[in-house]
This record gives sequence, structure tokens and C-alpha cells, in this order.
Amino acid sequence: MVDDKPASDRRSFFKTVVLGSAALAGAASGMFGVPIAGVQSPGIPLARAEGDRYKMAFIQWQPHTVPAAWSKGIEEVLKPQQVVDYELLDGQNKVEVQASLMDTLVNQGAAVIFLQPIDSVALAPSIAKAKRAGISVITLNIDATEPHAAHVEMNHYFGAMDIAKAMGDAMGGKGKVAILNAPPGIIIRDQRTNGFVDGLKKHHPNIQVVADQVADWDRKKAQDVLNTILAANPDLGGVYGVNDSMALGAVDVAKEKKLIGKLVIFGNDGEAGALESIAAGELTGTQYTDVYQQGRLAAAAAVVLATGGVPAGSFAKQSHLLMPYVIATKANVGTIQPSQRW
Amino acid sequence: MTIRPASATLVLFFAGVVAVFSVSAPRFATATNIENLMSGFSFVAILAMGEAFPILVRGIDLSIGAIVGVVGMVVFDMTLIFHLPGYVVLPIALVIGALAGVVNGALIVFLRLQPFIATLATLAAYRGLIYAISGRQLVPGLTTTPIRDSWIIGIETYFDLGGRLGVSKLLTMPWFPLSFFIMLTVFAVLQTLLVKTRFGRDVQAVGGNSEAARLAGIDVRLVTVVAYGIAGICAAIAALILVARFTTSTEALGAGMELTAIASAVIGGVSLTGGVGSMFGPAVGAFLLGAVLLGLTLEGVPQFVQQITTGIVLLAAVGYDRLLLLRQKSGHAVGHAKVG
Repeated sequence: MVDDKPASDRRSFFKTVVLGSAALAGAASGMFGVPIAGVQSPGIPLARAEGDRYKMAFIQWQPHTVPAAWSKGIEEVLKPQQVVDYELLDGQNKVEVQASLMDTLVNQGAAVIFLQPIDSVALAPSIAKAKRAGISVITLNIDATEPHAAHVEMNHYFGAMDIAKAMGDAMGGKGKVAILNAPPGIIIRDQRTNGFVDGLKKHHPNIQVVADQVADWDRKKAQDVLNTILAANPDLGGVYGVNDSMALGAVDVAKEKKLIGKLVIFGNDGEAGALESIAAGELTGTQYTDVYQQGRLAAAAAVVLATGGVPAGSFAKQSHLLMPYVIATKANVGTIQPSQRW
Repeated sequence: MTIRPASATLVLFFAGVVAVFSVSAPRFATATNIENLMSGFSFVAILAMGEAFPILVRGIDLSIGAIVGVVGMVVFDMTLIFHLPGYVVLPIALVIGALAGVVNGALIVFLRLQPFIATLATLAAYRGLIYAISGRQLVPGLTTTPIRDSWIIGIETYFDLGGRLGVSKLLTMPWFPLSFFIMLTVFAVLQTLLVKTRFGRDVQAVGGNSEAARLAGIDVRLVTVVAYGIAGICAAIAALILVARFTTSTEALGAGMELTAIASAVIGGVSLTGGVGSMFGPAVGAFLLGAVLLGLTLEGVPQFVQQITTGIVLLAAVGYDRLLLLRQKSGHAVGHAKVG
């Protein structure tokens, strides 16, 4: 810090300031002649199609099979429209990144934003800002506390209740189960856990939950966690992974310990790998949702909102669509068509 | 105040980045984008300035993001569970941040731990603490309850300076977020502290050569602990800005921010070998990173490419700083040779 200050450095600095100011002035010149229509706060332009085209984007939580399938479903609907520019953006599992991307899309004058919020409350101010700018927001799987155009979600709670029933049936109505869970603080974790626990209470009260451990949605982490649980509970009869990745981690452990057929394992989501594992007689079952269809439904709503000129705040009540699902087991997994597998 | 060649180059580079994106990225040179840059990266600048202090004393603070999370959750609990008013919560939040930083400093000077190891340990410990005190777990209904206290939410306020000054009739001006002015205030205070006070000179001396500083009568331990305490306070200020923006806190708040803060500080010319740097560089470094990320997003560049670009900018900054150092050393060598 305490460098000597040669005169050349000082000249260099002034030169820098002059050049920098010129560059910034050039940048600022882009601000001229962009009148803001209407009264908004703070300083956001009204969203509209650029020319004849509509900008739409999906801000995912982080890269995963589920948002990737939603995005594919969305693209299937939007691409043939030929008037929509669509892109998939990565929230990097950070609320501040998602909020920044929302701000950028507002700046770009997007017509519709698809959002998988990391947190229901944290993204609410960003949704409110988008609405003020005339942008419709459609949330996927995780709702937001700020009312918005539509919410399309998997049926987490009731699906988990049905998983508990199917699992208990497979266990003969008694025994011990472990839950491989997501990190706390995420609403769908609570819905999928509470639904499962309530389902056991309702349908199989003699089944006991002996462990509820965090495995971070991750297959490898699930293997480590389940190994520890099994060491403490060698008579464990069932494992519920709140997503398929963790359930497949449990399948890996069951294979290694030769527990396939003895350990009842259920997942949640219904990704292709899980369906293959069910067909192979390894994973007992999962809650399957056609996630492509979920994306298509969201995209169809988006097209209506954008091309129909529906104002972002004109809904009397937020639309809320719960996706249909099936509890996929070896008995019915063959009925899920290849085109429905994601 | 000494203007280092690295700082001048940084300003030039920042101006160049802004100029390039203004031409190439649609809607980059708009009032809204400038507003987004200010609101989205002022807290990063504050974190980077805070991070600069441990680096200046030849250390590092890997826990600064975790401190953001701890302070965020403390604010969440005090507001939504204990219903304390915001004017009570705000000073407590700053004290918690300072304490967390002081713990880091104390571990380093009293247990003689390497700063990297000490703050890696507290990163893990503070992250665990967040889950332990999480009001979202203790009272599940709070997961969907926003913070409404006006003292806290008021931090997320925007000012229409252009309208007030009458400039908005001529050009569209961004609305200035309060967080930007908070950042400017933090900059003014810390820069004054660094260049105008004895403590600031002591920080540079300790970072330059701690043994020489000790022999010169400087309380190296105290200076180090205070440097980490300042980083903690800056993390607390950043946490308050984020909680105000999101009207809540999450268990993951601040995760990974230490790396952004360190990158901003290093890009801003703060030498990882200690003793060299100012508050100006980290602040500009943070906005430079922000401008690059916003510009690339507007250009539709995939985010993994953006991350690679950030890495390249960081490498270039470190390389340039190294080059200046080598030139400086060779200059001194030539000088000595001439004298000899």
C-alpha cells in the first residue's frame, strides 16, 4: 500500500480517470431516449415483446434431471411458436443469484419468467418487481408467498402419503424405516417428509421411523448415510429417499449388502434411472410425475399470458395446478411410455 | 492516498469492460442495468472490503460467507420469534458479526493456527450453528413468513435522485439503492481508517513483516484480531442488506460468498502476501465482477462460461499484480546496483 508515488504513476492515474470517464459517458449515452412508460418503481421499464418476439426464460434452482426435463417440456411448446426466444438460466443454488437473474430479465423486458424458487419468501420481492414491470411469473414446484400468474407443482404431500401406504403394504404393515432427507429449510422437503410421516400414521401406525438423516439430495451421500443407519439399525425394513437420487443410493447399498428383496426402498420424482431400477427389481417404487408434461403446461399458460396480452397483475387468484401422479412399482412401471421417461 | 499502478489499471479495465458491453450486450447501458449492478453487488463490495483486512495482515477469512449466514439467521430469529424491534436488532447483528470475526482472529493469534485452517474450521462451525439456531426449523411456519420490520426492510430502499435533481427530464437515471450509499459509507470509513490512522499503518506494517512490526512496538495480536473483527462487521452489514432484500434469511445464505469476496479483493489489487492494498480496489473489483456477469448474461453467454471468465479475470489480476511486483523488485535491484 505504501508504495512510492512516482509522477508517472500519478499521470497514469489521471489518464485512467479521463479514459474511464469517457467510456462511462459512452455507456451512459445508451440511457438517452429510453422513456419509461407508466409509473413504476424503481425505474423499471414495462415488459413487452421486442418487436414481434417474446423473451421467456426459466430460472432453475440448480442443474438437475427435474428442471432439465421441465425445460425440455417448455421448449417443446415454445419452439413451434416461432415468436418466442427462450433460455434456461442457472440459479446456482443461491437466492442472490436467482434474484440477480430476475432483475436482469426485468431489464430485458421478458414477457414471462418461469421460476423454480430456492425459497418461497426470498424470491417474493423479485416476483413483485417483475409484476410491477408487467412480467408474468410462473413458478414450478416451489410456490412463492407473493401471488403471481400461476404455480405448477408435483403433488408432494399427497404423493408422499401414498408412498407411505405402498411402502407399508410392501413391509407387511410393521417394521422400521429410515428417511434419507434433503437439507432443512426447503418447503418441498417438509411436504415430502410430512406427507410420508402422516401417511404412515394413517395407514400403517405400527411402522416406526427410526432415522431421518440428511443426504443432500445426493446418491453418493445417501450411500454413506445409509451405511451408518444400517450399522445402528441392522433390522431396518424400509428406506424412503425424498428424491430418486438418494433412493438409488440406498439401492447401491442394498446391492452391496445383498439386501435386495429384503429392504423395501421408495424414491420420489420418477426419473428414468429410478424406473429402470424398479423394472430390474431393485428399487421398490417411486412417485412418478410426467415432468415433461409439467413443463408443457407451464409453457402453454405462458403463451396465453404473453400473446393474449394478459397483464401480469390482472388475475383475481393465483392459478395453482397440482400434477397428477402414479406410484410406480414393478407391477405398473411398464405402462410408463418411453416418451414419458425423463 | 497512494494510487498504485494496479488501481489505475483496474479503473481502466473496468471502464473498458463497461464500454465493450455497452456496445455488444443489449440493454447493458440502461438505467435499469446500472441499478441492478448497484443493488446486486454493493453487498459484495462491502464483503470484499472487509475481506481485504485479514488479507492485509497476511491472513485470509474463509468464514466470511458463513458469518453472513449466522447474522442473517440471528436477525431472522430476533425479528420473527422474539419480535424485537429493528432498532434493537440492527446493533445486535453488527455485534454478532464482529464477535464472529474476533473469534477468528483470536484462534489465529492465541492458538497460533494458520488463518486458512482456523477460518476453514469456523466456516464449518458457523454453518452448523446456522442450522442449530434456525428459526425456520424451530418454528416451521416461519419458512413462509416474511420480515416486515421497517427498520430492517427499510434498508432495501431506492432513491430517485435523477427525479429530485431534475435530471430525469433529460435522461433516464437509475434509482439509487440505499445499499449503494451504505457501501460508499463503509468505503469512506475503512479507507480513512487504513490511510489516516495509526491502526491503518499498523495493519500495513503487520502485513509487510509481522516480526519487524512486533519489534517496532506494534501489538501484532491486537491488530490481527481487530482486522478479523472488521471483516466480521462487514459480513454483518452485508447480511443485513441481503435480509432486507429477501425479507427473510435462509440456512444457505452467504454460502460461497467468501470466494467472491476474496476474488474481488485480489482483483482489486490486495496482495495475498499482505501489506499491500486499499479499499478502493476491492470495491471496484466487486463491481467489475458484477459488470462482467451481468454483461455476459445479457449477451446470452452460458453461465458455466461466465464462471470460466471470472476465473480468467482473477488469474489475469493476480498475474498483473505479480508482474508489477517483479518489476518493482528489479527496479530496486537496478537502483541498488547504481548506488553500488
